[in-house]
Amino acid sequence: MSRFENKIKVWDIPTRLFHWFLVILVIVGLVTGFVSPEWWMGIHIWAGYGTVLLIVFRLLWGIFGSEYSRIETFSFSYREVITHLRELIFLRPLHYIGHNPAGAMMIFALIFILLGITISGLVVLGGEENQGPLAGVVSYRIGDMTGDIHEAMVFVLMALIALHILGVIIESFLTRENLVKSMIDGNKILPAGKTAPAKRPARPWAAVISLLGFAGVIGAVLWTLSTIPPSGVIALKSNSNYTSECGDCHEVYHPSLLPKASWQKLMAELSDHFGEDASLEPEIATNIATYLETYASEAWDTEASNRFAKISSNAPFQISATAYWKRKHSEISADVFKRTAVGGKSHCASCHLDAATGHFDDQNIKIPK
Amino acid sequence: MKPHNKTIAIASIVILFGGISSSMVAANSTRNAIIKDFASQAGVPLSADRGKALFESRAGGGKPDTPSCTTCHGASAMSTGKTRAGKQIEPMAVSKTPVRFTELKKVKKWFRRNCKSVLGRECTPQEKGDFLTFMSSQ
Repeated sequence: MSRFENKIKVWDIPTRLFHWFLVILVIVGLVTGFVSPEWWMGIHIWAGYGTVLLIVFRLLWGIFGSEYSRIETFSFSYREVITHLRELIFLRPLHYIGHNPAGAMMIFALIFILLGITISGLVVLGGEENQGPLAGVVSYRIGDMTGDIHEAMVFVLMALIALHILGVIIESFLTRENLVKSMIDGNKILPAGKTAPAKRPARPWAAVISLLGFAGVIGAVLWTLSTIPPSGVIALKSNSNYTSECGDCHEVYHPSLLPKASWQKLMAELSDHFGEDASLEPEIATNIATYLETYASEAWDTEASNRFAKISSNAPFQISATAYWKRKHSEISADVFKRTAVGGKSHCASCHLDAATGHFDDQNIKIPK
Repeated sequence: MKPHNKTIAIASIVILFGGISSSMVAANSTRNAIIKDFASQAGVPLSADRGKALFESRAGGGKPDTPSCTTCHGASAMSTGKTRAGKQIEPMAVSKTPVRFTELKKVKKWFRRNCKSVLGRECTPQEKGDFLTFMSSQ
């Protein structure tokens, strides 16, 4: 840096904190979404809520923040963006004190895609998992479909992040200014001969009050939605015959885990039940069969009822033979199933603490040692 | 503690234990009735020793997975067993599991299923009676 150059404070503390907190939450979201075990889903969800709050804050700070945090200072015209990109191609970009046009476009793209990811995430949570404020509003099918969109947008996000980092590196190199350092200490170079423009101060109270107002309104809406009971979940009365007769030998499986036709076939073939004679008195068998068929997967709209409805054709009532079951347990080694505390593939409740309710929430998985 | 409360406490303890012991007496009498019925069908005196031998034998004739009662019920009448699906089975010995053999329906159901699994045939009334006599003595 030559002695003719001065440094001025460009990024205020809230903008910098926003940036790095967002970095942390995005990393947490990616790790808990792709890498970590299913039972970290709770953290994934909170990373999503945190991201929304951060973005809403940033938008408000774009109105009430100090000079260079304001959106209007980086709302460039189409012509300015094109000019800047052309300069970049010729490796001679003009130096901007605040965000440059390419950076500004990236900010808008990132905010847009992150809002898309978090909102779609909430839809997936409500539809597929029957959790969160939209559990009573979104069907499984909509949630499942939105899941694909959620994931596709995450891939777009990762591409944008790569481009963002690449852009920062290239611009830092071309303008001889460490932009990463700027986002840490808030200072940027004021080119020689330029005078610092008049800066409008931040209005933090206006920002805080708007943020609280927003959080209050959205919170109230989500809270109201969350009072609607989860869709596709019915009140299941327990059947003492089912609990005692079937539960004498094995886990009392939730009726929603098999389709009606499978329960029918299973109950008709009790004399050879997985190699065991499990025959019952006719009136008890009829009572249990009616119960299971009434509450079979068709009566529900949960993740488990939808997934396990796709039975394996050569083992129509073996849940662990379905393609879905195998895929979800592919990373569980055979040794885990052999553990005494687990007791084999037929023991859902050993690891799925809520197996008896038919929920099978990701957060309720705990593999015993 | 007020004397009044003390009386209530003693009374509830008496009722509780009285209830437990009287229900055990009732359980014993239903079990004895079931055994007596098998004895009369068998027409010969029942033997706990034959019952023990039956429980521990590996006679064959049943399913290869279940060659003996002990496959699932554990080595002795006093031990805890495990179903093929992994569920725990309480000991068969009446001293360990007092509710054993007090419900005719259950007794019939399990003899029907398990004799077929282990022996490949129905058990005779004498075998059933011997088995229950042995388990009651344990």
